[in-house]
Amino acid sequence: MQQKLQEIIAQAQAAIDAVSELAQLDELRVQYLGKKGQLTEIMKTLGQLSAEERPKVGQWINDAKQAVQGLLSGKKNELEGAKLAKQLAEETVDVTLPGRGVDLGGLHPVTRTLRRIETLFSKAGFAVETGPEIEDDWHNFEALNIPETHPARAMHDTFYINENTVLRTHTSGVQIRTMENKEPPMRIIAPGRVYRCDSDQTHTPMFHQVEGLIIEKDASFAQLRALIIEFLREFFEDENLKVRFRPSYFPFTEPSAEVDIATNLFGEGRWIEVLGCGMVHPNVLKNVGVDPDEYTGLAFGLGVERLAMLRYNVKDLRQFFENDLRFLKQFN
Amino acid sequence: MKFSENWLREWCNPEWDTHTLSESLSLAGLEVDDMEAVAGEFSNVVVGQVVSFEKHPDADKLNVTQVDVGEDELLQIVCGARNVVAGMKACCAKVGAVLPGDFKIKKAKLRGVPSNGMLCGASELGLPDDGVDGLHVLPADAPIGMDVREYLQLNDSIIDVDLTPNRADCLSVEGIARDVAAISGAELKQPFAAAQLTHQGACPVAVKVENTPACPKYLGCVVTGFDAQAKTPLWMVQKLQRGGVRSLSLVVDITNYVLLELGQPMHAFDLNKLQGAVQVRQANAGEKLVTLDEKELTLNADTLVIADDSGAIALAGIMGGLSTSVTDETTAIFFECAHFAPLAIVGKARQYGLHTDSSHRFERGVDPMLPERALNRALQLFTEIAGGQISEIQRVVDEAHLAKPAVINLRRETIGKRLGLQLADTEVETIFKRLGFGCEANANGWTVTASTFRFDMAIEVDLIEELGRVYGYNNLPETPLSAPMTLNELPESEQELHVLKNALVQRGYNEVVTYSFVDEAKQQLLAPDLPYVLLKNPISDDMKAMRTTLFPGLLQTIAYNQNRQQSRVRIFESGLVFFKNDTDPTGATQIPMLGGAMVGGVADSGWDEISRKADFFDLKGDVETLLRMSHQLGKIRFEACSNPALHPGQSAALVKDGKEVGVIGKLHPQLVKAMGVSGDVFMFQIRQDALMTMEVPAAKAISKFPEVQRDLAFVVDEAVAVQQLLDAVTAVESDILQSVEIFDIYRGQGIEADQKSIAITLKMQHIERTLQDEEVEALVAQVLASAKTAVNAVLR
Repeated sequence: MQQKLQEIIAQAQAAIDAVSELAQLDELRVQYLGKKGQLTEIMKTLGQLSAEERPKVGQWINDAKQAVQGLLSGKKNELEGAKLAKQLAEETVDVTLPGRGVDLGGLHPVTRTLRRIETLFSKAGFAVETGPEIEDDWHNFEALNIPETHPARAMHDTFYINENTVLRTHTSGVQIRTMENKEPPMRIIAPGRVYRCDSDQTHTPMFHQVEGLIIEKDASFAQLRALIIEFLREFFEDENLKVRFRPSYFPFTEPSAEVDIATNLFGEGRWIEVLGCGMVHPNVLKNVGVDPDEYTGLAFGLGVERLAMLRYNVKDLRQFFENDLRFLKQFN
Repeated sequence: MKFSENWLREWCNPEWDTHTLSESLSLAGLEVDDMEAVAGEFSNVVVGQVVSFEKHPDADKLNVTQVDVGEDELLQIVCGARNVVAGMKACCAKVGAVLPGDFKIKKAKLRGVPSNGMLCGASELGLPDDGVDGLHVLPADAPIGMDVREYLQLNDSIIDVDLTPNRADCLSVEGIARDVAAISGAELKQPFAAAQLTHQGACPVAVKVENTPACPKYLGCVVTGFDAQAKTPLWMVQKLQRGGVRSLSLVVDITNYVLLELGQPMHAFDLNKLQGAVQVRQANAGEKLVTLDEKELTLNADTLVIADDSGAIALAGIMGGLSTSVTDETTAIFFECAHFAPLAIVGKARQYGLHTDSSHRFERGVDPMLPERALNRALQLFTEIAGGQISEIQRVVDEAHLAKPAVINLRRETIGKRLGLQLADTEVETIFKRLGFGCEANANGWTVTASTFRFDMAIEVDLIEELGRVYGYNNLPETPLSAPMTLNELPESEQELHVLKNALVQRGYNEVVTYSFVDEAKQQLLAPDLPYVLLKNPISDDMKAMRTTLFPGLLQTIAYNQNRQQSRVRIFESGLVFFKNDTDPTGATQIPMLGGAMVGGVADSGWDEISRKADFFDLKGDVETLLRMSHQLGKIRFEACSNPALHPGQSAALVKDGKEVGVIGKLHPQLVKAMGVSGDVFMFQIRQDALMTMEVPAAKAISKFPEVQRDLAFVVDEAVAVQQLLDAVTAVESDILQSVEIFDIYRGQGIEADQKSIAITLKMQHIERTLQDEEVEALVAQVLASAKTAVNAVLR
């Protein structure tokens, strides 16, 4: 009996060794251990043995069953491992290939710069205001203390629609519109397109300005200085940025100043003008019904492209309006 | 305003080097635009006289010269210049000289002939171009042996100041010097004494001023018997040149010199060409005048002229006339030195296409007290150089109309409030004294009398600016603003443009900024029916129409990039469009728009992407994303439309509450070539205001009960739009229908040629209970009936 069982085990061993598919292995399991399997059948003969022999032989049969079961399990593990390894090998990808659907555009550098400016000022309580770009004479000139006869009109290189309407030469008109409609105190900025009839390497007929206006009781030039200097240092993220104020002239502010920063972009250590500012001229306040003895105004107007050029190392102003994607995508 | 630094230093000489002087001017509000040395760096170059010359024995183009430089022996110098002649005076670099570019002059032999120095041309010394191909010729009276730098006054710089229109007082060397004195504390000198001139006999020219408000002061004076051959001295020529004025003739040079020195425009008439009395009057409309630059003007009645019995002979304060101008033959001169009110001159020169040094100054304001001094100075210079007899001065003055110095009350308290710094009283008084302003203390501050040359002083803040300017803007404190009093508004029911822009960016679009003025012809092709606004003075002919649509700029940008090998372009722009509207105060309705365009592949050609061209629905998906972000999807509807810019079969109007708020579609194939683009371009634009509303979310309960789904495939005529079917389905009133989705469009086998199948999924759910089959079937039946009625749809 023992020998017979050994033969069966050896047979099973050989058969299992020859198997390469899990399904075949299952057939072998049935063949040896199934309801009608060889070992099961032998177990059924146990009843014919004497009570003395039964436990001993039963033990032998069980040992044989376990041996075959062990062989089957071992082979099953081996085959499953191989199958998984094959699947893993088949599913291996080159993880260095780029991913799909990366399609990111970008904001125009002028917008990017405007947002930076708006964010900085909005944190100091400035509201954003807008106005029309075809502007009437009153809002673009007259209310800003630039009468018809003023020499400053010739300086503006104005685009005319007709005698009374122009393309706005600055966003300063928005301060008039805002003061006409709201009561002081106020802090606003007015970003937008402006137009000058001038086109060469350093001028485009359209560009962007941000006008700022503060109307408060007892606002001072010293406060304007602090605001402008802090803005420029935050904008350029340079706490040591050198800033200087030069007396200048705008009909709508008195005192007036132009502001330069020291930069190396256009030549070693040059002062570059970045904005104009001043205290709102009393005539302007009177024009919109604000009492200049009660309120004082601080105003500034900054050139967005100039700031963008300095911030992003753009050497040619005209690139902003050519919209060459190879230029724009550098800001994506 | 350009001027010689040395000339300025004759008037005021602070202990500043040239660079510091320039910086200080800028920081005083007189912005220095440019500053350059009048000559290159060189040394040991002297006035030499060519005594004789002969041909080089061994070189055709060289001469051997003998040059007297005031030393014991003549210098033998080999020279190749063509303009060398015996007796001429020239700049001679001696052995040991160093010329610009560190070029050292040594003893040399040129083709065997020894040469002990070099005769120089203008460019070799870094002098301004003298127009001579050869040696720079010096005047015959140049002293032999004198250092050329000293003789030509070359240790000088030209400073160019860009003056703001309020600072007309600085349009002269004296004016600049006054400001330099004020900011530096250095003395303001008077480099010449007022001459005691002898005036003999009455002025033979009578002067009549009709319009004294426009011309409150007119001085005239005649000079006769002078040396008509007298030449302008070198020092004057140089100062003029360095002031940017070309030397013309002695008389003209002197008037220009006084203009530069003191800021007073003058005019000289040829006395013998004048007919009768000189009159200052308004022009007669249509009156003709030929100006000095030989242009014939037809005058308007608003123009002030100088006239004689023959008619207008000069545009007052702007330019003289040709008929009475001084020439080489002039033997008697009538000098005019007048004050014209700014308002009488402003804009007049421009009206005739003119802009002169004179009009520039009178428009901005010339010191009304200046004519007497200026005329005296001109006569002094003229008679010193050319001799002659001076008549009495003919003087017409209307004191009442002469500008009076402004008297302004300045409160001590206001200074501190405005500047943010309380200046000491003595500081205030010193500054005004240095500016030449009168300053008397009163109870609250001072009564300040501005000087007559400061036309920009009118109110208290003008004085405060002067205090800040002279004290130094950069010396004022920096005081932080106080914190804002209120929080800014943050309306959640408004969409923000930048959020929409970010969405487009994330979908692969690049933002562009194009000009608001476009090519009129292209705009007419794209939007022939929209009324547009034209610029009167466009920068060029293809930029004269204000855009009524964003399409021209987007298409131009696509063309530009396609021409530069960018085949896949996705761009967007936001900005105003302008419709002519005479009822608007600005003459235009100005609408903020958001627009975009795409052309090329649906994706950048990747390593395994299916390469497909973008089509209508790619763009529509992007637009629908914007609508969804603004909670407008479904509220703004797409309706097939006809738009001149777009393909008639691939264009839709975006309609909100029955109004068109935007458009989307494919560029009309007929316009592709005209727009300079290639491929299928898809574009949209939509009014920003249609996208700016949002709904503040109000959360609803979520049903716990199962959702039931029914798929229905309808067959409809090809002409039926999907939207019509959807409208019919959603028209069924139901509290269980949650959504309707299209999952298939089918044409072909089993469907008639002029029909199509539209398959939809209905999703149904009840909030409080599980749905019964009967109510689901009832709803389906209603849907079928509605679809049948509306678009004759039958179940497939």
